[in-house]
Amino acid sequence: MEEPRVREEEEDEDEEEDGEDEAGPEGALGKSALQLTAEDVYDISYVVGRELMALGSDPRVTQLQFKIVRVLELLEALVSEGGLEAEALRLERDSLRQEVRALRGEAPPAGGQVDLGPDKMVVDLTDPNRPRFTLQELKEVLQERNALKAQLLLAQEELRCYQSGLIPPREGPGGRQEKEAAVPRPRSADHRKGERTIMKKLPRCPGRLGQGCKAASRRPGVEGTCVGQGHLPPRPPTLGSTMRRMSCTQGQPCSQLGAVKGKTKDKKIWY
Amino acid sequence: MAKKTYDLLFKLLLIGDSGVGKTCVLFRFSDDAFNTTFISTIGIDFKIKTVELQGKKIKLQIWDTAGQERFHTITTSYYRGAMGIMLVYDITNGKSFENISKWLRNIDEHANEDVERMLLGNKCDMDDKRVVPKGKGEQIAREHGIRFFETSAKANINIEKAFLTLAEDILRKTPVKEPNSENVDISSGGGVTGWKSKCC
Repeated sequence: MEEPRVREEEEDEDEEEDGEDEAGPEGALGKSALQLTAEDVYDISYVVGRELMALGSDPRVTQLQFKIVRVLELLEALVSEGGLEAEALRLERDSLRQEVRALRGEAPPAGGQVDLGPDKMVVDLTDPNRPRFTLQELKEVLQERNALKAQLLLAQEELRCYQSGLIPPREGPGGRQEKEAAVPRPRSADHRKGERTIMKKLPRCPGRLGQGCKAASRRPGVEGTCVGQGHLPPRPPTLGSTMRRMSCTQGQPCSQLGAVKGKTKDKKIWY
Repeated sequence: MAKKTYDLLFKLLLIGDSGVGKTCVLFRFSDDAFNTTFISTIGIDFKIKTVELQGKKIKLQIWDTAGQERFHTITTSYYRGAMGIMLVYDITNGKSFENISKWLRNIDEHANEDVERMLLGNKCDMDDKRVVPKGKGEQIAREHGIRFFETSAKANINIEKAFLTLAEDILRKTPVKEPNSENVDISSGGGVTGWKSKCC
């Protein structure tokens, strides 16, 4: 009683079958195992049964018939099971295809093997030149560099002024004088020579530095140069003492330096 | 009392595509020197030069920006404080000229409204490789109402003139403060048009 049900199922599954059926029941025997359907098995059983009938009613034939029926039943079971599985797989394949199509539509195809989102980059951690620092870090380093550069320029400017004698080393009230006194000042001829050499390299001093500078004639050049007095102050400060004086505290009337320090501390000026 | 070594401090900014010669233009002006090796500026740098104009000592603090796109977030943060901006292109590089409008937009977006602008067509010594005619530079400058110079940092053409002109233009609209008369403050704030009668 199972046969009609199975038959219906198989017919629904593959319509191509119908065309092949027209080749007659014999055609089923010519099919490959993968093409075989339950229908074909019935055709085979029809053909085999017909030939067995022709052999007469020999008991050996009857015995063989039972075995053949059993084999055909097994074959039918295998074929219908295979057909159902194939149908299930086909359905699964189709739904996966749809899913893939949907996913591809959502995201643009990624270039590399790794699935990256848009605007992403792969970093090779073994590359010594790989990017390492953040924009913020670079910003900070550049700001610090530029602030230090600004301080250096101002310090150089002041150094020039001291060296060209525009600011007398003893100028200003007590606090600074004490500091200066604490600085040992070698006064050998060698030292003076060295300072003169530096002076030649850094001969210019921007004007408006003090009384001496105002009195000095200004060269009309672009720099608006303030020409030095042409002589060293009585006690030319050594580079060391100048540097030390530059590090004096802000509150002290350290001539230009007060301005220098105040300026560079003001972030607005140097960003 | 603190004594200043200058009367006025002007902050200038150099912008333009990478490789047009901004750093060289500045180096020529500040150190009167030229270097042929190309070293891309990292982010932002500056130089100081003191000039004298109309009897005033003016300290020019000139900021040199990196032209490369990757530094733009850093460099644009420096537009705000600039009183004058020099927009540089390379007369042998058509792309750098095309990008002028982009740089002008950047100025509009990030700089002060009354910033003094100037256009420079650099490398004018390389006339054999020129792709941007001088007239095109003049035209775009006229359209935007800004000054224009063709310069060469290498051959030292118009470099000092450009900087001094820009400084003069800023000076012209700077409120005059006499140290002895505090009340006298002839403010010419926003007097951008002052120079137009004089030139072009």
